[in-house]
Amino acid sequence: MGKLLSLFILLFSFNTFAQFNFCTKDLETFPTRSGGREKPLYVVATETLRFITGETKIEDLSATEAFCKLSLKAFGMPLELPVMVRVDHIDVKKILGMNENDHSVDINIVIAKIALIDTELAQQKENNSYKKELTKVKQRHDAYIAITSARLWTIPQVNVGKIEFVSLGEFLTETRVAEARTKSALPVNYLFEQAKKDYLKLNGDSYLLELTYFKYNLFLWAMLISILAIFSFVGLKNKAPASVLTLITIGLQIAAMTMRILISGRAPVTNMYETVMFSGFGALVISCIITIYRKEIAFVIAGLGYNILCLMMMKFANGMLEPGISPLVPVLRDNFWLSTHVTTVILSYAALALSWLIANGLLIRDRFFSVSSSEYRYGVDLIYTCIKFGVVLLSTGVILGGVWADYSWGRFWGWDPKETWSLIVLLVYLAILHGKSTSWIPPHRFVPLVAGAFMSVMMAWFGVNYILASGLHSYGFSEGGALFLGSFFIIQITLIILGTLGKKKLA
Amino acid sequence: MDKLKAYYRKTELFFGNLKFAVVIITLFAICLGYGTFMESYHGTEYANRLIYKSFFFMAIQFCMFLSILFATLIRLPPRKHLYGFYVIHAGLITLFLGSFITYTSGIDGTITLAPNLAGRQIQLTNDEFRIEFPTKGKEVTVELPFVSGPKDLKMDYEGIKLKTFLPFAKDELNWLPMKIKNESQSSSRYRIYNDNFGEFITLSLHPLSDFNNTITMGPLNVHYMPTSLANCFMANTPDGLIIWNGETSQCISPVVSEIKRRKHQSGKTIAEVNFNGTLVAFLPEMSPLPLNSQMELNENSPFRIFSKKLFEKAPHLFLFGKFVAFYNKDSKSWEGSAVEINNEVILPWMGFKARLIEHKTDAYATMTPVFVKPIQENGQLIAGDMKALKIEIDDQDFWVRSTEPVAYNQNNERIRMEIGKKVLTLPYELILDQFKMDTDPGTTNPASFESYVTLFKGNKGSEKHHIFMNNPLKYDNFTFYQASYFQTQQGPYGSVLSVNFDPGRFWKYLGALLLVLGSIWHYYLRRKHLAKPGAQNG
Repeated sequence: MGKLLSLFILLFSFNTFAQFNFCTKDLETFPTRSGGREKPLYVVATETLRFITGETKIEDLSATEAFCKLSLKAFGMPLELPVMVRVDHIDVKKILGMNENDHSVDINIVIAKIALIDTELAQQKENNSYKKELTKVKQRHDAYIAITSARLWTIPQVNVGKIEFVSLGEFLTETRVAEARTKSALPVNYLFEQAKKDYLKLNGDSYLLELTYFKYNLFLWAMLISILAIFSFVGLKNKAPASVLTLITIGLQIAAMTMRILISGRAPVTNMYETVMFSGFGALVISCIITIYRKEIAFVIAGLGYNILCLMMMKFANGMLEPGISPLVPVLRDNFWLSTHVTTVILSYAALALSWLIANGLLIRDRFFSVSSSEYRYGVDLIYTCIKFGVVLLSTGVILGGVWADYSWGRFWGWDPKETWSLIVLLVYLAILHGKSTSWIPPHRFVPLVAGAFMSVMMAWFGVNYILASGLHSYGFSEGGALFLGSFFIIQITLIILGTLGKKKLA
Repeated sequence: MDKLKAYYRKTELFFGNLKFAVVIITLFAICLGYGTFMESYHGTEYANRLIYKSFFFMAIQFCMFLSILFATLIRLPPRKHLYGFYVIHAGLITLFLGSFITYTSGIDGTITLAPNLAGRQIQLTNDEFRIEFPTKGKEVTVELPFVSGPKDLKMDYEGIKLKTFLPFAKDELNWLPMKIKNESQSSSRYRIYNDNFGEFITLSLHPLSDFNNTITMGPLNVHYMPTSLANCFMANTPDGLIIWNGETSQCISPVVSEIKRRKHQSGKTIAEVNFNGTLVAFLPEMSPLPLNSQMELNENSPFRIFSKKLFEKAPHLFLFGKFVAFYNKDSKSWEGSAVEINNEVILPWMGFKARLIEHKTDAYATMTPVFVKPIQENGQLIAGDMKALKIEIDDQDFWVRSTEPVAYNQNNERIRMEIGKKVLTLPYELILDQFKMDTDPGTTNPASFESYVTLFKGNKGSEKHHIFMNNPLKYDNFTFYQASYFQTQQGPYGSVLSVNFDPGRFWKYLGALLLVLGSIWHYYLRRKHLAKPGAQNG
């Protein structure tokens, strides 16, 4: 602390105003390393601040400015930013002295009560939601301490012709700052400019693509245009504008996913966020193909609707879906299998999602509006088309998964929860398809059954990670998902009950 | 013949019926769903034992096989619009046959490689009970049943009866009655706790008990002694010496005048005490053991001597059943108090208290394995990770646990018994030259696990191989995959490879291919669609 204090005096003794203006938005492009990847400071700052506070701003300061200023606290910079730590669990709120309706608490309270949090954590034997939230609050506290002790921000340095990263605390040494002062009146700015130049010279500026990716927010644009496309399809007789808007949506999503592939160097299907992203896109593409093949616009409307749902989840369900790009666990580091097995399975879920949307649409229309018998049967036929695509893709995906498992784990099938649930999905749809040819599943049962069958997809996709959370595939575990899934099941079951109760049976 | 045909026709109609297919597919899916929850709560092995490798589940799969087979046969001779259907079902039949070949003839296990040591033993999934008779040079192995709950066995090998097998067990405290009540072989259970910490401890003086008479809890040392020693302990003598006769449980706390001290030829001080007429000689600064007539330490003597002063520096708690004693540094004196069941004594360290829970002189505390459903948390079993087998030798029951082997002397022969995984020995060896774990830059997150191994093929020489995720070693129809790793006590890492021999692989791949191609063909042949209501045909 003594060393840092003397460095503070050295840093800010001259030209204090200029040094205080060091933390500007220009730092957004500064190269840094976090979580095993090199990325612009903007990304690190935004991800860290969002993790601690749930927000990407502190007062009127951008994430980068706030992150920079908090880091400078390590050098004794007299700065008090109101950092509010996100807390969701009611019992954790109680031990932190929060009101039930508060969602965040001042970091200084968390710091003062960290010993209490540690004691509570040590006493929890079960890994319940309380313990998980305590762990999260502790991690948020630790992240804040890491920033304010200048450990989280890493700075590139040249070492024997290679770039290595050191923490800000190690970088801003007295000797280095004193030496820089002989070269520039703004020694800190000088050192950072120099570090960035060295990095660009050796590693290039490809890391900046991540800044473009996050700043352009192409998925948000895709969502807005998808909404416009749906309205155009429904509201306009001329389908050309809607078709163009749909193509623009697809183009934007391809551009965003390509950027993500270039940044991560792998197929964009490695965590929940990416699978949601890919399934929305996949459903839209598949729906366009079926629309062309069957000359029926209902498919593309369903595709757009599902795509919007996925894009909304990506935008608003950040507690459940983590948009950041992280390195993969070793077993998944195989691009061939990622881009074949996982994409096929996700595409199958996309096709089944189309059947789910159409089935629910038909269920609601039939219950609350009027649908003729021929219209109903036509709707069933549309659903059947989607299921055919889904089942073929899912069989292929499950088998490719078996081949990958055989290739990398030594067995074709091991009853791992993820692979077992993908098989359950296949069996559920196969049971419905087989039953459709018997007297057991006439059209009026087929529709609600298909609507309900998608719950098995949701269980395989989200439930394994959020509810079962065990086995070799549990790479996407995070909190909040169980609540989402539970709500989905309740809504879906209610819809089925409402749609079937008291309804006249169609032949 | 006609009757036989009629029976076949009935069978065909029953199993080939679409409704039967719906029922069996649904039942299969329900079992799978239940299995995934069981796996999540109780771990992979429990789910395998309960569901995936159970007879019931095998029977469902067999019914599915029959359904697929008869659904195909019932639709013969071939019809053009069903070509895709035939291919799908042929694929499924092939897939089932491939899986059956793997199940019956495949090998799936792990090989653990310590650094620079040869490994050739594959550990398989099934458990076995091994009995070694070293003098006869004989070993008996008995495969234990792959069950999910307790299983009574009626097996007898060389006079050893195998009685009950527990596939998942935990040790539970059990009080076994003693033939004669004995104060000096008592057992007690206490709770030591403060506001932040609490632990139950069980201590015993009985020779057959699984519990010790000393225990360490962080900086606190707990000693359990016979009740009769308590008085001597509290006697306030300047030397603080206590002499104890383990056979009679009598003790004395001699005062200075009762201790005769003399110098031995070696220069050490010998203390002599008259203990009820017996002269007992000690080297008090050296050992609690008394000396024999040759002035050597006598381990067989029932007498022991120790000085309380040795226990005044660090926290030592002395428990004598219903009496508790400790040295209080603040008052600089030994303090003691009687404690009844469910009463507590305040200790002089960090607000700790000692509560007496149980104290018995007519029964001794021991640990007995009991069946428990395993509990999985964060991918690790936190309960039930032990297997236990109850055996009977010489009319006495014993438990053999998977955690450690058991030795027993029968007719002057030392028998060794253990529960372990079934082992397969390879005709060649692998040596782990190096295990490497790379991490993502700047983090401790693993990025890759890699084993550099040398394969010794006997007369055929040796080869170097590099095994890592998605890059297995294939040799002699076996495939070796990077599965896990561990750190040895010496520091370097060892590697665990999963080993697999799968004669059904080709058939499973062929079946899978037929299934996918058949599905595409099937839906291509059935591509007719309903026209949109109100739309004109054409």
